[in-house]
Amino acid sequence: MFIGQKIVCLLGVLLVALPAVGQDMNTPEEMAGTGYFRDQDTLPGAFRFYSQLPGGEGGLWGLGPDRQKISRSSFKMDAHEGVDDFSPELRCQKCHGLQIKDLHGLRMGIACVQCHRNQPVAGIYHYYSSLNPIRRHAYVCAKCHEGATPSFASYMVHEPNPIAPEARTTFPLLYYSIWFMLILAVGVFLFFLPYTAFWWLREFAAKLKGGQDHD
Amino acid sequence: MTEQRNRLKRFSAIHRLWHLGLILLFMTLSVTGIAWMYFETPWGRGLANLFGGYSGTLEIHRIVGLVLLAGFTLHILYLVHRIDWSNFPRSLFGPETLVFQWIDVKGFFNHLGWIFGFNKQPRFDRWSWWEKFDYWAVWWGLIIVGVTGLMLYNPVLTSDYMPGWMLNVALWVHRIEAVLAMGHIFTIHFTVEHWRPSSFPFNAAMFDGTMDLQEAKHEHPNWVARLEAEGRLADAIVPPPPVPLRIFYFLFGYSIILLGLFLLVFAIINATLLTLF
Repeated sequence: MFIGQKIVCLLGVLLVALPAVGQDMNTPEEMAGTGYFRDQDTLPGAFRFYSQLPGGEGGLWGLGPDRQKISRSSFKMDAHEGVDDFSPELRCQKCHGLQIKDLHGLRMGIACVQCHRNQPVAGIYHYYSSLNPIRRHAYVCAKCHEGATPSFASYMVHEPNPIAPEARTTFPLLYYSIWFMLILAVGVFLFFLPYTAFWWLREFAAKLKGGQDHD
Repeated sequence: MTEQRNRLKRFSAIHRLWHLGLILLFMTLSVTGIAWMYFETPWGRGLANLFGGYSGTLEIHRIVGLVLLAGFTLHILYLVHRIDWSNFPRSLFGPETLVFQWIDVKGFFNHLGWIFGFNKQPRFDRWSWWEKFDYWAVWWGLIIVGVTGLMLYNPVLTSDYMPGWMLNVALWVHRIEAVLAMGHIFTIHFTVEHWRPSSFPFNAAMFDGTMDLQEAKHEHPNWVARLEAEGRLADAIVPPPPVPLRIFYFLFGYSIILLGLFLLVFAIINATLLTLF
């Protein structure tokens, strides 16, 4: 009887306390949004935190950018480790030429080192990297974009060529949107430019003949 | 000496004001947008310097974009106010409205047939199919650049409501629609409205609100005939605007046309220096 009362009390306490415990527990998404180096953010092994993409992987029915082809070096402390001909003296552009041809590099003149930091350059998914998606917004983006959030940091600075066939799988929404707009724009010009030219010629011919040409 | 009254009133003061506002805002957005797009080229940087460099150009582009969207909203409210709700939706149709109708489809094919010599020139009423297309193209363009422009206005705030990578999509869509709009205005619109043999060298109808009666009988014969049949033609005939005003309209119009051509030509020349991907 005494033991039974104890169990009932214990269960009662648990029932009251558990929701409160639940409220204190952050979801991985919430933790990902803190921007602070916390134990749960930085401890190696909690892989799912580091592979997640702010805003949801793929997102919007899989039309967003995917992260299926993350190279192994992206998880290394030194992303250039094992690269035979790498030297810290080399300029980034020598191997990463495409990565500087984006709005940040071309328009704002942002240097690689401003986001990727100095040697050794950590892979962007390394658990201490400032570019790891769990803290990228706070440690990199927010330097210029005040109030940057994990969602904001999912903007692809090094976006794929939107009309290349690869973009169909790596960033489907970008690929389909840009092709739709290009077809629309090219279609308008392909139709209206010759139409206007023939119209001009027809009017010119009518003017030469003089008089109206109505039914 | 009798006053020569040979002009037909075509656009009201408010119509002309909408068009003037659109010209000024669109051209400012074009210059600042191209300056931003071409910032990596010396020409783009030169344009941007006129507005205080990269940041100044972008700030002006954003503010003017907002003003244009506010103007667009006002225009929609104006239309809502103008609709004859007692006779809705029938009031949306008829020869005086810009709503596309079956007659415009026929007008398009008849016009195409006339261009290639298959039939006589079609007899348009107040609005021809291409004038309606020009009007609605602004709607289509403004909705696309407006929505994407608002997304890009404050990217951090936008990413609270959607994934940040949507900004990648928004920027490209904004860019392509803007190029389409500028390309269309600076080539097709200018040619159709000002450089066709019947309009050359300058069609001032959208500035002074009138068009030559003989030209109206040629371009919009059914409109003139309808006005005459309804006994409204005499009231619609107005004297030509004063010569100084006509000179001003011409100079203003050609300043805008030349600015458009300048942007078009240099944008094409500098396109090879542009890194898109």
